[in-house]
This record gives sequence, structure tokens and C-alpha cells, in this order.
Amino acid sequence: MHRRSVIGLIGAAALTTTVAATIALSAGTAAAQDSVKIGMTSALTGPYNEYGEGGRRGVELAIEKWNAKGGINGKKIELAMLLDDQLVPDRAVQNMRRLLDNKDLVAFIGPAGSGPTLAVIEMAAADGRPYMNPVAQTPTVTYPDGGKPRPNVFSFALQNDVESMVLGRYVAKNFKKPGLVHESTAYGVSGADMIGKELKAAGNAAPVAVETYNQRTQDMTAQVARLQRAGADVVVCVGLGADLAVIRRTMARLNYNVPLVASNGALSIPYQEAAGDLVVGTRGSMVYVFGEDTLNPAAQGFADAYKAKYGTDRWWGKDPQRPQIFMSLSVSNAYDAADVLFEGIKRANSTDPKAIATAIEGIQGLRGVNATYSFSAAKHHAIAPEDVAIFEYAKSGDNIGLKIVKD
Amino acid sequence: MHFVLQLIFAGVCVGAVYALIAMGLSLTFWTTRTLNFGQGSLLMTASVGTVAMLGAGMPAAVAVPLGVLLAGGLMVIAERIAIRPLLKAGDSMGWVVSTLGLGIFLQGFVSTVFGSQAIAFPSLVFDSMDFVDLAGVQVSSQYLAVLGLSLTLMVAMELFLRRSAWGRAVRAVSHDADAAALAGIPVRRVIVLSFVASGVLAGIAGVMVAQITGTVDPGFGFNLMVLGFVAAVFGGMGNTAGALVGGIALGVIEKLVGGYVSTAAEHGMAFAILMVILAIRPQGLFGRKEFTKV
Repeated sequence: MHRRSVIGLIGAAALTTTVAATIALSAGTAAAQDSVKIGMTSALTGPYNEYGEGGRRGVELAIEKWNAKGGINGKKIELAMLLDDQLVPDRAVQNMRRLLDNKDLVAFIGPAGSGPTLAVIEMAAADGRPYMNPVAQTPTVTYPDGGKPRPNVFSFALQNDVESMVLGRYVAKNFKKPGLVHESTAYGVSGADMIGKELKAAGNAAPVAVETYNQRTQDMTAQVARLQRAGADVVVCVGLGADLAVIRRTMARLNYNVPLVASNGALSIPYQEAAGDLVVGTRGSMVYVFGEDTLNPAAQGFADAYKAKYGTDRWWGKDPQRPQIFMSLSVSNAYDAADVLFEGIKRANSTDPKAIATAIEGIQGLRGVNATYSFSAAKHHAIAPEDVAIFEYAKSGDNIGLKIVKD
Repeated sequence: MHFVLQLIFAGVCVGAVYALIAMGLSLTFWTTRTLNFGQGSLLMTASVGTVAMLGAGMPAAVAVPLGVLLAGGLMVIAERIAIRPLLKAGDSMGWVVSTLGLGIFLQGFVSTVFGSQAIAFPSLVFDSMDFVDLAGVQVSSQYLAVLGLSLTLMVAMELFLRRSAWGRAVRAVSHDADAAALAGIPVRRVIVLSFVASGVLAGIAGVMVAQITGTVDPGFGFNLMVLGFVAAVFGGMGNTAGALVGGIALGVIEKLVGGYVSTAAEHGMAFAILMVILAIRPQGLFGRKEFTKV
């Protein structure tokens, strides 16, 4: 008797759930007809929300721009699911599962870093709906075996290989005896390899020394002393800002006065704060759009929209007149990712995943904020070496500022 | 010649910092026969706390001592919640997990409050540009200050343990806590004192390393704690001279291997030394074998 009532209860509950689910599903399909829904998981809170919350703002601004002119072919765009992963891979996987299970969503914006992105990318690739990568620098996110891209994945990040190529070309052109030092992670090792290849391609001799360090190493005397002994006329580093500061300080201690050229960590706040006045003369690679004397019209439009909606906050930077250079990797990258996605949906005039991907591949010469975009069946990444410049810290009066190096 | 001197000098200086941490680990090992694996996080919390106070406009002369005292205070809490309750359970090794857990908690707490990004730690006395010319070799003032302060502290510690009443009490407790209690020594207080001293040493070590690197972040202390631990085992647990020699030897070996073999091998040296010493001389260079009379 008792058992039967329990079974009855479970049955009733199951029935209710099914009915509720059916209703929800039909409501969903009805809504899907009058709006284009997208989903996003990112680091909205937590220590890395500089990229995640910045990315969300970029996406929201792009949606507002499109909706203001009537949406996509008459349909409004909606960020229907927005989930927080705090850059934690496990959470990103759960979030991505929830996004993929929602069949109303047309496309996705992925997490704000390589760790969580690598954790979700296979699921997203298997699903087949368009996936935009705003931040993750690892090229394998988009090109899993180095050759053909994943059909539904498009990247708006500054890929490691693109960054290293720019560094390598710059060093090859300007220095005779480069010494490399890199962190022992995949980022550092692959970056140093790529720089070595660029040097070779430019007909230069191999680097006079290649040294490695673990992230957050406290003393780098051995690394820097070896570079110095090898007679390197420039120190080229692939690594994060805080480690770069240790290298720069050690160079000062050992009275080793050659230029330091580094990946985008050179432009980061930890490097600037920890190296202090020693930053003068350091050069770093970065998307240059917000470093130009006059902003291009798309960048100016984006900057105005950002300022109107969010004000001049920490994503914007210190100067109320113009956005900081780093905004191209924290906000406008996601803005462009969403913008290109919407353009693809518009051109496809459909929400069919394959049709959207084909339409994006057909985009040629589209002016975005960070760059002018051209894609193809073989090229799914947005930022090319031409969109990246070398910046140098220069002192004018009491201020230290960043200038694009003309070569 | 110049090259090898640079390496040895850097090795001696960073080694002296390892020695301070090793000394702190030894102190609490003597009194409780436990190792505080949360030491690294405590050290980090103290340095981040110091940065926060400096950032709030406090002068360094106040912020640094307060930060160091914070480390001492946190050690009292660590002893209270992560070590003392677990020692009641006889031969329990639970403190391994509880001290590690406390460390992970502190790391999480600091990254929640201050974020995981590296925070700049201002130069206090000397800048990284300052140097002294010693026989034609440019010697960094920051490194010299680190070395001088570490050696002074080690000597002071040794004198304290040998000459003062409290120091003798620490040694008595480490020898035999029960007999010490019978002799009227306040064993509890001696243990707490050893934790405070250990925290103070760690706090000073943290501030000194931050002078070298220029930044601190939540993961900052763990590596140092491991190196301090290796230095303590290398030199012989529970021995001031051992901690000093172990720390400096480790620092110099690291730098020489980094300089002459490869910088990739440098980071593995500590563990290679740990394995070798445990295999051929588990009591460490200066340690004596421990006997328990039944």
C-alpha cells in the first residue's frame, strides 16, 4: 500500500514534469521565431573578469548596435543565456553543456581564456553550431591539428603564433644576436619555437641563447647572466608581465643594458607597476588599433558607445579621452566576434549552422574595431600579423607612454 | 670568472632566504614534531597584507612590521586550528592535510579579495638599480641587504635558542615535552612562541623575496615553502647551522646548474637534492640520527 502510493507519486511527478517540459519547449519554439538567441559563458566574476565581464560588455554593445537598426533581417537579437565560469575549466564545461542543450540558441560566445576554452571546444565542435572564441590565444582552439580549422569555430583572439610571428620579424630586422627567454608552459615553448623559425626564415642566425623559466620564478639571475654571457644584443621574452618584471629588474642588477622585446605581457599593468621606470625602452607586441594617433571610424564608434553606456571605468583605462590599448583584447575583441557572427547570420538569412559558417567564410574586407576582417574556408582567425604592432615605452617629461614603433 | 661570481652571489642570497624559511619550519618541528605545510600561504598572506597597507598610504616603517606580525598571528591560528586538535589523536598524521588545507584556504581567500593577478610590491630601501662595486663585480644592493638581514636573523635566532631562558625552554620541549612539563616549563606557551617566531621569520622572508621579484600574488609562497623544506631536510631538520648551510648550498647549486648546465634543469634541482639526501643521508648534512628510548 505504502509502496504503491510512492510509485503513484513518482508517476504523477514524472507526468507533470513532462507536461511542463513540453509547454516550455513549445513556448521556446514560439519565441525562437521572433528573435535570434545566442548564449555565452565567460568569467563574469572572479579574478579574471577583466576579460570575461569585458567580453560580455562587448557582446551587449554589438547586440544594441544591431537591434538599433532593426536586428537581423527583422529579428531582434537576444543574449538569451549568459553564464559565469570564472575561468574555471570544470564550470565552463557545465555551462557549455547547458548552452548546448538549449536548442533555441543559434550560436555561442566561448570562455575568456585558453584553459576553459580547451575544455569546452571539443563539445562545441561536435555540436556544430557557430562558436566564437574571443580571448583564448592557443591556435589549436581553432586549428586542432595545425591545418584545417574546425568548421564552426572562429577566433578573434590574438593567437600565439601570430604574436610570435610579429616578434620574430621585428627582431630579425633590427637585431643581429637575439637571445630568447621564455616560460616553460606551452605558450612560452611554442612562442619561442615560432620566433626561432621566423629568424631562420629571415635569413638570420639562430638565437645566441634560449633560456627557460617556470612561471613566478623568484630569481632569474642564471637566465639573464647566460644571455649576457652569450652576448645577446636584445632579450626576447615570451611570458607574463610579472615574470617579465623579474627579468627586467635582473637585467638592471647585472648592468645588462640591451633592449627587452616581449609578448603582450610587456604592456600589462603588473609589468608596468613592478618594473617602474625600468619599463622605458621595453618593446611589446599588441593589436595596435587603440594605439593609433587617430582612431579609425569603427574604433571611434565603439569607443563612443562604450563610454556612453559604461563610462570611463577600469576597462576604459586612465585617460578619459581615449580607451587604453588593452581594450582590444578585453572588450572590442568580443564586440567584433559578435558583430561578425551577426553579419554571418544576416548574410545566410538563416539560423542553419552550416549556412552561417559558410556565410562568415565569405566575409571579405569587413571593417571591425580591431582589424579589417577576411575569412575563408581555410582561415578562421581574425587577427593577422598586419593588425599587430610593436609598441615601445618612451619617456616624455615626467610621463611614460607607449608609442608604436615604426619600422 | 665574473659569470661564476655572479651566480654564486645570487645563489648565496636566495639561499639565505630559503634558510630563513627552513629555520621557521624547523622551529615548529622541534616543538610539535609537525611540519606546517601552510607556511608558504602564510608568508604570501603577510606580503599581500603589507602591500595592501602600503597601498592604503601607510608608511613602510609601520606596514612592514605589521605585515610580519600578521604572519606571526596567523601562525598562532594555524597552530590552534590545524595542528593542536590533530595532535590529540595520538600518532595521527592528520596535520599534513589540515596545514595544507589551511594554506589552500588562505590562497583562495587572498585571490577572492585581491584577485589572482600579480600585485606590485614597492622597493623599500634599495632599488633594483642600486649596486655596490666589489672588486670590479657589480653587486646588487637589494641582494646584499637580503643576505645581511637573513644572516643577522639566523645568528640572532641561534643566540636566542642557546642563551635565553625561553630559547632553552624551546630546546627542552623539543627534547622531551613531558619531562619539560614536569620541570615546570609552560609547554603550551613555548609551542605558541615557536609558531610566532616561525611566522615572523616567514613574514620577513616574504617581504625580502618580494623586493627581488617586485610583485606578489596568491601563488607566491608555495614554491618558497617547498624550497625551504628541501633546505631544512638537506641541512638536517632541527638545526640552525643545518638550515643555513642547507639553504645556501641549495641556492648556489641551483644557480650553478642554471648557469652551466641549463636553466630548465635549475628548477628540478631542489627535488633531485631531496631524493638524493633522503636516500643516502636521511638525517641531513648536520642532523643526528634520532633514537627513541623505550
